[in-house]
Amino acid sequence: MTIASVKKKFKSMLAALLLCTGLLSSSVVLAQDKPVRIGVPTSVQLQVGRDTLTAVKMAVDEINKKGGVLGRKFEFVSADETENPETGISAIKKLTADEKVDLLIGGYTSGVTLAQLPHISAAKTIYLGVGAASPSITNKVKQDYDNYKYIFRVGPVNAAHQARGLVDFISKFVIGELGYKKIAIVGENAKWVQDLVPILSKGAKDVGADIRMTELFDTQTSDFSPLLAKVKSSGAEYMVVVLSHASSDVFAKQWHDAQVPVPYGGIDVKSMDGDFFNRIGGKSISQIAANFAVRAPITKKTVPFFDEFKKNSSNFPVYSAFFAYDAVFIYADAVKRAGSFETDKVIKELEKTKHEGVAGEITFDEQHDVQAGPGKVNFMFVQWQDKGERAVIYPKELRTGKFIMPPWMKK
Amino acid sequence: MKAFKGLDTLSSIGGLVALLFLGVLPTLFTGKYLVGVLTVAAIYGIWAVSWDFMSGLTGRENFGHSLFIGVGAYAAGFLNVHFGLGPWWSLPASMLVAMVFAVVLGFPTLRLKGPYFALAMLSSAVIMQRLMLIFWEYTGGEEGIHDITPLIVNPLHYYWFVLAVLGGITLLLSWMARSRWGLILRAIRGDEATCLAAGLPITTYKIMSLVISAAFAGLGGALYAHYQLQVSPQLFAVVTSITIITMVYVGGMGTIFGAVGGALLLTVMTESLRNFGEWRLMVYSLLLIFILFFLPNGIIAPIWQKIRNLGRPS
Amino acid sequence: MEILIYGAVTSAIYAMLAVGFTLIFGVARILNLAHGSFYALGAYLAYVLTTLAGLPLWLAALLSIVIVAVFGVLVEKILIRPLRASQLGVLMISLATALVVEQALFLTFGSEYRNVPAFIETKYNLFGVDVAGQRLLTLAVATVSIGGLYGFIQFTRLGSAILAISQDPLAAKYMGIPSDRIFSLVMAISAGLAALAGVMAGPFLSVQPSMHLLPIVKAFAIVVVGGLGSIPGSIAAAFMLGYAETIVAYMVSSSWTEIVSVLATLLMLVFRPAGLFGKRAAF
Repeated sequence: MTIASVKKKFKSMLAALLLCTGLLSSSVVLAQDKPVRIGVPTSVQLQVGRDTLTAVKMAVDEINKKGGVLGRKFEFVSADETENPETGISAIKKLTADEKVDLLIGGYTSGVTLAQLPHISAAKTIYLGVGAASPSITNKVKQDYDNYKYIFRVGPVNAAHQARGLVDFISKFVIGELGYKKIAIVGENAKWVQDLVPILSKGAKDVGADIRMTELFDTQTSDFSPLLAKVKSSGAEYMVVVLSHASSDVFAKQWHDAQVPVPYGGIDVKSMDGDFFNRIGGKSISQIAANFAVRAPITKKTVPFFDEFKKNSSNFPVYSAFFAYDAVFIYADAVKRAGSFETDKVIKELEKTKHEGVAGEITFDEQHDVQAGPGKVNFMFVQWQDKGERAVIYPKELRTGKFIMPPWMKK
Repeated sequence: MKAFKGLDTLSSIGGLVALLFLGVLPTLFTGKYLVGVLTVAAIYGIWAVSWDFMSGLTGRENFGHSLFIGVGAYAAGFLNVHFGLGPWWSLPASMLVAMVFAVVLGFPTLRLKGPYFALAMLSSAVIMQRLMLIFWEYTGGEEGIHDITPLIVNPLHYYWFVLAVLGGITLLLSWMARSRWGLILRAIRGDEATCLAAGLPITTYKIMSLVISAAFAGLGGALYAHYQLQVSPQLFAVVTSITIITMVYVGGMGTIFGAVGGALLLTVMTESLRNFGEWRLMVYSLLLIFILFFLPNGIIAPIWQKIRNLGRPS
Repeated sequence: MEILIYGAVTSAIYAMLAVGFTLIFGVARILNLAHGSFYALGAYLAYVLTTLAGLPLWLAALLSIVIVAVFGVLVEKILIRPLRASQLGVLMISLATALVVEQALFLTFGSEYRNVPAFIETKYNLFGVDVAGQRLLTLAVATVSIGGLYGFIQFTRLGSAILAISQDPLAAKYMGIPSDRIFSLVMAISAGLAALAGVMAGPFLSVQPSMHLLPIVKAFAIVVVGGLGSIPGSIAAAFMLGYAETIVAYMVSSSWTEIVSVLATLLMLVFRPAGLFGKRAAF
């Protein structure tokens, strides 16, 4: 062994060491740069889904502009869960097993979400729900915390809260201001409605309503004439609807064309679409739908959000958008507070969330369910009026217009 | 008879190789995704094979196969969730329930010919689907029963289990198809009157084959329930029956093993088409038309025939 | 009273669909599962031509019917005829066609409901029942078109040719009747009728890509009950089923309506496969 060869060996060893260090550090740096992937399972075909995605995109862009969180940028990928549990499960599998997302934000149909839960739990991925209302979803958090602690609902407020919101509307507005005591309750036969209606019926009776009929119809129904005729003959003065997946378009059209002498309103998700009025030729006039936010300063973030959203999409946002937007920030803030992306630590911080969202303040109860109440997320009732204008009718403090009757019922 | 035995040896070797290949496949890739797809493919394989046994052989196309699948799956769901029984009870229970339905439906409908039988079974499946929705208080309605406990938690092990069941059923039904049983079923397809004249108890055979077909379909349904951990009325849908029929068509009607190939091919194809996003179902349907037009004998069976004939002098 | 009128409208639509379906079966022995697609295309074309091309409603309707009729003929010629030997083959290819059409509509228009403007926007009050004008018009149109079709078949030479082929294809061929051309004609009529139903019903029923499914199930049910190949049978069965459904919807609840038609099919198949008026048994 000559000195030259030892030197050579030493040099090569040094080079190798440097190379290794370089690689290691770059991989560490790369790990730092690896973006946070958000999986969005939602009903891509519907406005609810499209708006969820637009909102997530808006939030992600804003966060990335500020440099991301803990040095990592955000990105998102979507999967169509349609309204079918089977497709929903496969969407979750695709997102968690194939796309390996770090976080899930989405949801719409309660039945689909319920079916997805065991698979989300198996994948140990945090899920922030933004569209499904059944209380059963967050009940699982209480029943089996260890397995289901990953589940949170950022919005909407669950069906029980919604029922109470409706009861308020009935008691103070329908009975209180319009003087209509006789009501009919009509809803689609979906899980969240099955959860909601009993609470609604009892609450309504307690405030003095005379429920003339209650009917849950098949979500696939396309001919409502028998139903509308029944409502008319029941003597009801106001029809309270609970619709989300059903064909609100067809319902409104048929109600209008038959000039049913009973005004209606309630929860009607599809009627919240910005172009609902126009696409059915204005036939939803005087219909009232519950919403969580309109372009009004409910919180500091509401109006800027609506305006920014309109720039990103051709319409005003529906409810899932508010919560999807908030969800991304809620997660980002929880990560910042936890100082890490580690799931369990983030969950602990998520539980302590107190976030000023688009529709109100977001806090979670012990079941990871968003809370309702003053200052928090609440219902407001918005009516379709002439030329497709919308006015907030209830609560009184937020009223922006006068209530109108259907055109054929004007005195 | 020797040729008959020879057939079996070559086929069984081929089957074994295929089985081993399928079993090993997911271990080559990391991630749970492939296992998931293959498990679903294997379950569809069970459904396809069970359909082929009855309809492929007798020529009585059963457009309501989804009914047996659905009742098997719901039986599993009910026992597991509403009665709290352990998941392993579902397997024999689902088979039993499906078999009962087969007997009840088989008697009145099997004497119908051609498209009428298909239609009767289709109608039955649709009615069952509707009933599940109407009695939503008991069946969970549109969202079905969820929270079913898995049979085997480890996805890879469950996959091997399902694969083993698939292999077992395929073997059993292939053997039956090549035995006297299959001969009689094929004879029924050819000319019922002659069979009757020959004194064969046709009705018994027809009902028995439907019952066997239903039993395995129900079993598949239970396996599916414990995999998806959820059952919904979608299982009864016409689409399910049609998908299975297509798989058998692609594989080669009446060949039993072809059905397995068809199921695997189509399931994998559907999943890989996910990249086409919205165009997925469209591409699938167009592919279907293409196959129907140009490959009426299916793909799998003819290919296997060619492979077999390679070693033979012409 | 409402039952009477609403039932009539429902039955009318069903009749239009069933008659076309049974016609093509009676004449060409084709169980065309894409029949529902003609209905869907009729509605969608009406939507496209009025909303996007801005044509007046009556013109859009006419064009829709013609286009769908042509489409039907093409489907029959290109896709179905080569496979006519196998019943299952025809079934599957027509089904695949229906799926392709559904997907095409879905890709073009999305899955949300579309709105087709109605011919008549006013409401009428008939015997104390509020009925939308469009529904009444549908009833009228259905009556006229089916009546016209029946007259055509009974009283014209071409109609006799059609009857001849349906009764005995071989003999008809010997008589020099060009069966292939007749098939195309019948397909055109069948598709056109379905499209007309779509155009009429689109305004008040739902227009979305999967709208072809329910009509085909109902049409199947009606045709089986009435007897495959019998036009009067289809009309009678259409009314029976239409009314049965409407009665069930009013008395019990809308959820049971689906079962009515399917159950009727099943029972009829089990007890009397030839249907009420069918001449041949479930061959």
